[in-house]
Amino acid sequence: MKLMPCPLNGPRNISEFACAGEVAELRDPADCDDTSWAEHVIFSNNTAGVVREWWFHTPTSYWFIAERNTVTDEILRTYPAGEVFKARFDYAAAKDEGGK
Amino acid sequence: MTDPAQHTRRSPVYRKLVAAGATFREAADGAVAATVPGAPRPLGLADLSVLPRLGYKGPGALAALATVGVPVPEANNTALAMPGGGLVARLADSEALLLGDPTGTGDPLAAYGALHGAGCYAMPRRDSHAWFTLAGDRAADCLAKLCGVDLRPHRFADGAIAQTSLARMNGILIRDDRGGALAYHILADSASAPYLWDCLIDAMAEYDGGPVGLDDLASFASAE
Repeated sequence: MKLMPCPLNGPRNISEFACAGEVAELRDPADCDDTSWAEHVIFSNNTAGVVREWWFHTPTSYWFIAERNTVTDEILRTYPAGEVFKARFDYAAAKDEGGK
Repeated sequence: MTDPAQHTRRSPVYRKLVAAGATFREAADGAVAATVPGAPRPLGLADLSVLPRLGYKGPGALAALATVGVPVPEANNTALAMPGGGLVARLADSEALLLGDPTGTGDPLAAYGALHGAGCYAMPRRDSHAWFTLAGDRAADCLAKLCGVDLRPHRFADGAIAQTSLARMNGILIRDDRGGALAYHILADSASAPYLWDCLIDAMAEYDGGPVGLDDLASFASAE
């Protein structure tokens, strides 16, 4: 069984996890046309090489980020999402900008 | 003999214990199987599902528990004994689980029931999870058949927690030795508890294991 090093629980069988796709920066909805918004929502980059992905440990409902080489399927590093996302997204500010 | 069906709160596996010929006694607001014919056994599985337990989640959960005197463990996935009986299990930076006294006497959690607010949210663990205890020297060998995590005593210390896949279900395993005897608490989805109970009973058969009552668990501690 392939092992995934979970930042909370340590090495576990990869069957305990679900992959939720690439970590993508949220586009600014106020400054983004329909085509690029649709690309952001629907398409993935499908990079051949090292990517950052969202992973989920099902028994603990724990989300984290993994750096994985999609060519060799090696998991290089995993860390809590809090290392990247340090502040909550301010929906109120984004909404105000969009309404102007 | 107390009839478990006369209580509104019943264990999800009480019918299996009735079928095994268990004798029930009152505990908390339900009835637990106190003894089961065939006990004592070298490996026993007891059902503690009606006993009190509480969960807390949220960014302020651990701090809120510490302010009311709960000894919150330093590291995630470790458990500590609480004053007055019971265990506090730290599941993450934002989640803890309190287990009541596994002997079913008193309720050390009664004082903590009202914690809520300021980033601390109560979780109904007593309704969402079944609670079993597997005790006996071969308990780790038995669990190895159902679970990929190395639970052997020299690798998985007393008080360690594994949140993992158990018989293909999501479960929480907490090592909590009784006296000198190896024992693990198992918490898993209450709706699938009869399935897990059957899996464990099946896995225990080769070690001469089987269902035991809450009072039979005491024999594991006194056997040392």
